[in-house]
Amino acid sequence: MINKRNMATYGIALVFILALNFLLPRMMPGDPLMAIYGEDALIQMTPELKAHLVERFALDEPIWSQLGAYFWGLLRGDLGHSYYYNAPVSEVILGRLPWTCLLVGSSLVLSTVLGVVLGIESGWRRGRKLDKSLLTGLMALGGFPDFFLGIVLLLVFGVTLGLLPLAGALTPYAELSGLALSLDILKHLLLPLASLTLCHIGGSYLLTRNTMITVMQEPYILTARAKGLSDSQIRYHHAGRNSMLPVFTRTGMWLGRLVTGALFVEMVFAYPGLGYLTYEALLARDYPVLQGVLLMVAVFVLVANLLVDLTYPKLDPRASYAH
Amino acid sequence: MHISPKRELKRSSLGRVGIVLIVLVLILAIFAPLLVRYEPSGQTASAFESPSLEHWLGTNHVGQDIWSQLAYGARTSLLVGFSVAVFSVLLSALIGASAALVGDRYDRIVMRIVDALIVIPVVIVLVLLAAYIKPGIGYIIVILSLLGWQFGARVVRAQTLVLKEEMHVAAAKSFGASNFYLIFRHIIPDLGPILLVQFVYAARRAIFMEAGLAFLGIADPSIISWGMMMHDALGFCYLDVWRWCLIPPGVALSLTVLSITFIGHAFEPVLDPRLRGEAGA
Amino acid sequence: MLRIEGLNVSYDSERILNGIDLEVKAGETLAIIGESGAGKTTLGLSIMGLLNGNARGRIAFDGVDLLSLSKDEMRELRWNRIAMVFQNDEDVLNPVHTVLGQVLEPMVEHRLKNKEEAEQRASQLLSEAGLSSDKFYAYPYQLSGGEQQRALVAMAWANEPELIILDEPLSSLDAVSRLEMMELLKRMGRGRTILVVTHDITAAANLATSIATMYGGRIVERGATPAVLYNPRHPYTRALLRSYPGMATGKDLQGIKGRMTRGVSGCPFHPRCTQAIEICRREVPLLVKYRERLIACHRGGIIPALSVKGMSKSFGSVKAVDNVSLVIDGGGTLALVGQSGSGKTTLAKAITGIIKADAGDVYLEGEKVSRRGKDFYRRVQMIFQKPGEALSHRLSVLEAVKEPLDIQGIETEAKRINRVKKVLEEVELSTSADFLEEYPHHLSGGELQRVTIARALVLDPQVLIADEPTSFLDSSVQAKILKLLLNLQEQRGLSMLFITHDIAVARKISDRMAVMLGGKIIEEGQSSGILASPAHPYTQSLLKAAQGNSQLG
Repeated sequence: MINKRNMATYGIALVFILALNFLLPRMMPGDPLMAIYGEDALIQMTPELKAHLVERFALDEPIWSQLGAYFWGLLRGDLGHSYYYNAPVSEVILGRLPWTCLLVGSSLVLSTVLGVVLGIESGWRRGRKLDKSLLTGLMALGGFPDFFLGIVLLLVFGVTLGLLPLAGALTPYAELSGLALSLDILKHLLLPLASLTLCHIGGSYLLTRNTMITVMQEPYILTARAKGLSDSQIRYHHAGRNSMLPVFTRTGMWLGRLVTGALFVEMVFAYPGLGYLTYEALLARDYPVLQGVLLMVAVFVLVANLLVDLTYPKLDPRASYAH
Repeated sequence: MHISPKRELKRSSLGRVGIVLIVLVLILAIFAPLLVRYEPSGQTASAFESPSLEHWLGTNHVGQDIWSQLAYGARTSLLVGFSVAVFSVLLSALIGASAALVGDRYDRIVMRIVDALIVIPVVIVLVLLAAYIKPGIGYIIVILSLLGWQFGARVVRAQTLVLKEEMHVAAAKSFGASNFYLIFRHIIPDLGPILLVQFVYAARRAIFMEAGLAFLGIADPSIISWGMMMHDALGFCYLDVWRWCLIPPGVALSLTVLSITFIGHAFEPVLDPRLRGEAGA
Repeated sequence: MLRIEGLNVSYDSERILNGIDLEVKAGETLAIIGESGAGKTTLGLSIMGLLNGNARGRIAFDGVDLLSLSKDEMRELRWNRIAMVFQNDEDVLNPVHTVLGQVLEPMVEHRLKNKEEAEQRASQLLSEAGLSSDKFYAYPYQLSGGEQQRALVAMAWANEPELIILDEPLSSLDAVSRLEMMELLKRMGRGRTILVVTHDITAAANLATSIATMYGGRIVERGATPAVLYNPRHPYTRALLRSYPGMATGKDLQGIKGRMTRGVSGCPFHPRCTQAIEICRREVPLLVKYRERLIACHRGGIIPALSVKGMSKSFGSVKAVDNVSLVIDGGGTLALVGQSGSGKTTLAKAITGIIKADAGDVYLEGEKVSRRGKDFYRRVQMIFQKPGEALSHRLSVLEAVKEPLDIQGIETEAKRINRVKKVLEEVELSTSADFLEEYPHHLSGGELQRVTIARALVLDPQVLIADEPTSFLDSSVQAKILKLLLNLQEQRGLSMLFITHDIAVARKISDRMAVMLGGKIIEEGQSSGILASPAHPYTQSLLKAAQGNSQLG
């Protein structure tokens, strides 16, 4: 069951992104083709290609026709053409997507699971030594900008100790397969994953811990203690179960932050995902790619939010009732 | 509102650490001209000189003094953080409080927009905008403010809904007070502590994002910024110049963000009094 | 089964429980009653070992001191041997688990049963508790307050505990569910030892075999349920019952003066007690045996403020008062009911010494009164039937009220006038110069009676004998005067002998009642008891007449 309120939210968000994508280049002064494709690309274009592009985006027609052409393109999965990569934007993005999914996905799972577990343990021991050190430590880690943490990890483990590869997602030209390939991928993943996860664990940890502290004051915890339940049963089955709810509802938001974080981390490690693609596109002023990435990421985050909404009532029975 | 942010700050040792750190950064920013010997953007020596008595932190790839850049970079960070925090908190207060007070359709529409802005990955939007506009510092402040009020607005709205039910507000209403009067005479003063917390969060986000944009190399390159210093240094990672080119701005940025994080944490009980009594932490 | 000795509990240096001694025998149901903040719930939690505070003393359960048990031993004991039904506030049940899941949880967790058996037993318990089977897999928020309470009861019974603690089991229920819940608890509680913690006296009366009253973290009275409810002997228990709106009592509600404060030296109730003396401020009274019950009071519970033994008075051959004995409780009202000519007024006059009795003695706080001097009248005052006649028409209000002070020669003139003004305020009269100069014939009936009451009170008497004080007043004025007397009693702890021919008035104002006929007391007892089941035919006819009247009205 999807509630109307959330659908409206996602609708507005999507419209906002699409409007930005559509209007931004067209609002720039000068030739819209130049705004869409950038100066460098334009110089190298043949007149035939220019004419083709003008026709394709209906750039010589009124704004409504342009809008129609824009949507028609989107519906066919046409995000435009990257001049820098000389390939359709959708192809470029799809090529990079798996790496970002791997990085962001594993980081999401890792930081949420670790954050929730540590948050539960920490909140349970509120004010004691473990709680205080976890709180200070994780908050300090969260204070580091992810790119700086990435740089530090890179310098320590990659440059100084030489333990792990400095860049990329695979050893180039190694022609590995099977287990060796997986190991190679893992080795390359380790540092970016660590920087991303370490920076973001604090969010879910703090939220879980704070919720845990308030949940511990709820009457049903007293009931559970009175029933003579074991500590771990109370901690996880009763308190923890309730404490992880707010973390879960914010998965969509975490995802947005992780994608953002991935942008910087991928850049530091030259990890070939969407973040690094963004960086490359920025350097090359490849606007179609930038726009495509923005749209892609936004849709991604929105879909994730939608999935959370759909599964949430299974976790909190009140949800299907309260709204 | 019987919870005083000042007292919460005093109770929390992390909060006190945060205050000390931010005061240090403030001193660095305010007295930058007195603390450095060289123009931050002037080419004062050859490239990549290691730290010496002449250049405390050495020089960068074009021979600029790192210590000077670090001190002036603090100015940029704090200026952006402070201004964005002021603007976005004002927006949060106005939009959040008015949504709660007016209610009905206005409230529903505003809250949908707020939710939508929360869902959208703001940094990506920023990157796109910055790529087109190549913003100077004023632009950055405006864009960050416009994209940073939504989190606070939600909290302000929730708190206003609570306040609205309180007697003195109801009493003022019964004397015929307008919504405008209510917001400024009753709601905002009572929201004080909460706005302060939002201010801290907004400043943190802004400082972080400004550095991030500069790090990506999409901000105006004439602005001296810690993010830009790191951007410049990252390209020379293979040399050991990172020891003085990369680490100082990184540490400065981290400590600044960290100090604000600690202060924000100390204020958390203002938002949820049940979190109080964090004896040592 | 449960024996608590010298239990002290404190939170952050604040004492919540003070030297609690309590014994609950197997199969008994004990109710702990008291205002909120008295420490009732803390007592329940300390038995469960769920306190965050500091507990000292001994809680012996089957001979084992619970306070000395380790965390694990205590956990093993909880729910298996002692279970609790918590007050059903928000979220006593975990909102994210089903009701059945929460009922079977303690059985599975304590390894009494495997999952299937536990599920079977949980279903059985839930239906026994009266929850319909389609609600077993519901979440707490889907249930009404009454249904949640049923689930809580089923949960408490899950592991067959020997002792069950019920914390406010009927609060948050509507009237009909309360009745059902009461029946359910009675049925399921059969054969078990139960401790009910409640401020709800009806619940205590219905469920418990005995009652303990708690005040300021101490037990102040303990006895069998009917004895405590029909004849409370501790001033606090009586005050608590007086302030409780029950269907059985006819007396108007009275509060308790002041409010509960913590950290009081001596008896915790003394700041609010109307019979407190010096020792009450200094020393904590012990809970000692007093006839069939336990009372913690330096004065042995409610004192007999004034008692009359074997009083007789004849006018010629007519025995107006024939061997009458009475006790007026301290801070209580005894209504003397009877038709005119039954000897009520003669008795009153004989007690106050206005006329001389032929035989019999009067005792003030247990001491025999041998001579009625100024001292006696300072402690016993009278209000007369006809206020117009009781006030001299030559005296102004000020002079009339000041007269007793002048007579007693108390203090200086200025102080006397101050006292007059204060007492006039107390009876809700004006203290303006104009009013003070007013003469009786300018006053209304209600004002006149207030002036006589003020005059009687100006000496701070302990006992007030009111002879038909309202019979000449309109019923609207009568209502105000009765309320005034009740308030004065609440504030000053006045003991009253209220003489009236009207049993309906007596019902509104009295704690105890004595019915007089032909100079003799023919029936005496708790007012609610007499009104509910009058023993003497004369009382029955009085009551019938009054009920006839009420039907007319």
